Amino acid sequence: MKNIWIVTWFTLKEAMARKVFIFFFILSLLAIIITGLIFLLSSSVDINAFGMKNMPYDNPVTMIEMMIISPLTSLCLLLAIFSTASFVPIMLEKGNIDLLLSKPVSRDQLLWGKFFGGILVVLLNIAFLVIGVWLIISIKFSSWNFAFLNIIITVVFTFAVLYSLMILFGVLTKSSTPGMMVTYFVFIILSPLLFAAKDKFYGMIASSLVKTIIDIFYYIIPKTSELLGTITNDLVSGKSIENYQPILTSLAFLILTMGISISVFRKKDF
Amino acid sequence: MSLNVIETSGLTKVYSSSFGKRTVEALTELNLHVSDGMIFGLLGPNGAGKTTLIKLLLGITFPTRGSAKILGEDINKYGFKNKIGYLPENHKYPPYLTGGNVLQFFGKLSGMEGAELDKKIDEMLQLVQLSKWKKTKVKNYSKGMMQRLGLAQAMMNNPELIFLDEPTDGVDPIGRKEIRDILIELKNQGKTIFLNSHLLSEVELITDRVGILNKGKLLREGTVKELTEKKEEYKVAIEGDSIYSLPQEFIQKINLQKMENDYYSFKVDSTQELNNTLDVLRNNGIIIKEIVQQKNTLEEMFISLIKEAEKEKVQ
Repeated sequence: MKNIWIVTWFTLKEAMARKVFIFFFILSLLAIIITGLIFLLSSSVDINAFGMKNMPYDNPVTMIEMMIISPLTSLCLLLAIFSTASFVPIMLEKGNIDLLLSKPVSRDQLLWGKFFGGILVVLLNIAFLVIGVWLIISIKFSSWNFAFLNIIITVVFTFAVLYSLMILFGVLTKSSTPGMMVTYFVFIILSPLLFAAKDKFYGMIASSLVKTIIDIFYYIIPKTSELLGTITNDLVSGKSIENYQPILTSLAFLILTMGISISVFRKKDF
Repeated sequence: MSLNVIETSGLTKVYSSSFGKRTVEALTELNLHVSDGMIFGLLGPNGAGKTTLIKLLLGITFPTRGSAKILGEDINKYGFKNKIGYLPENHKYPPYLTGGNVLQFFGKLSGMEGAELDKKIDEMLQLVQLSKWKKTKVKNYSKGMMQRLGLAQAMMNNPELIFLDEPTDGVDPIGRKEIRDILIELKNQGKTIFLNSHLLSEVELITDRVGILNKGKLLREGTVKELTEKKEEYKVAIEGDSIYSLPQEFIQKINLQKMENDYYSFKVDSTQELNNTLDVLRNNGIIIKEIVQQKNTLEEMFISLIKEAEKEKVQ
């Protein structure tokens, strides 16, 4: 456990030294400052002006919070994928990995350290952003919706699932580009597309073969759209989660990809 | 009683290209024993398998066949690694770390912490004369400074066995002398050093035993003295020009040749023949001032051995 923590801590240091963390932090700070300027400096804000029609939230304050935070967290995830993609490939560079493997550290510990290091980078930034926005809105409207903070968990979990995919490609190719491309494809294209196919167009598809193919892909690929959509909405509204399937299948994906990564890394010659 | 800190048995490594179309045998059936408290030098041309051997011993690469033990433990385990130090060839440290950070990171990974770690960092930096560079990022270090930092890193955990892969690579002559002095000091402290180097003259200066590896095979192994001795060739110093009074047949038989000043060289096949030759010399009234067994330099021996191996392969 201690070795995992050492690698995690130095991964955070790596992020900070490579300006990733600082850049992330500055963006989050800018978002908080802009939110503050809009809400704290304006004398009165008409909640009704935001419109509640077709919104999944009972509380208008939650709706305002979500309107601000949703695009920001998606942007943060895009940046997080970009900034953490090189953690594993850099570790595997010749001259670096030789030294690490000569120490009394297991290969599993090294990989887990990198995994938790990447997650820690994203957790700290997302928490800073979400708590900042939440404080401003809560102060302004004197409404303290603690459930809103659950968004930190869903975003970090979504990132963890995507990061496990990047780690797998990092171990397989020792390069950051393929992992980044596949992860962006899953996050931006495949996951939303499969969700739409399953949720909106499934009934319109006549071919049972096509349906089966969609089902297979749908259950294998992590469900980032639902994690950041319906699951997050349920949690920030203080409701219980209606459908755990996206969480469980995404968690299974994470376990499987990390399992394959560790298995490959254990046997790899450097 | 000396113990074997490194033992290999039939250690073999075959690298395969993707889909196994092409294979390269980097190390073949290597049986090697290195005793504790010695400096062992492994020599060989590029691609001989020297680095592969170290990587196998440290679990960085896995053997295709055979087995090995380090400090009595199987190389597949990693627990023994807190008793070893390693300086890889072309080592790379994260450029954002300072010299002090590098030692802190690897010290922590070796199980050190707190005041003990801080004290050791200062001690090691002082030993390799990098104290005033402690807070400078390693990206600003010169090649020589990186090597010295690497050496400090390898010694951080007070290891019993240290693997050094080309430790003086890129280091100036003064720096090389300093590194040699450190290695001798480590040996005096009872540590075992396994050294890979191209610099044969340096290896000759500090090693107790030497192994010569070529194309994955151990060609010879022994002390520097054993490897460099020319068993059948002697140098003799005599008084005056009396050598010309010897029968011509005898001169030809032992291939007697003038070297410099009063020195002559000759060749014999055995100790008995050496004694017979000396008798003949003395019986002919020749006064012998000195007799010395001829030696190769390590470099000469190394080159002739590699050439021999190449010839055998062609035949």
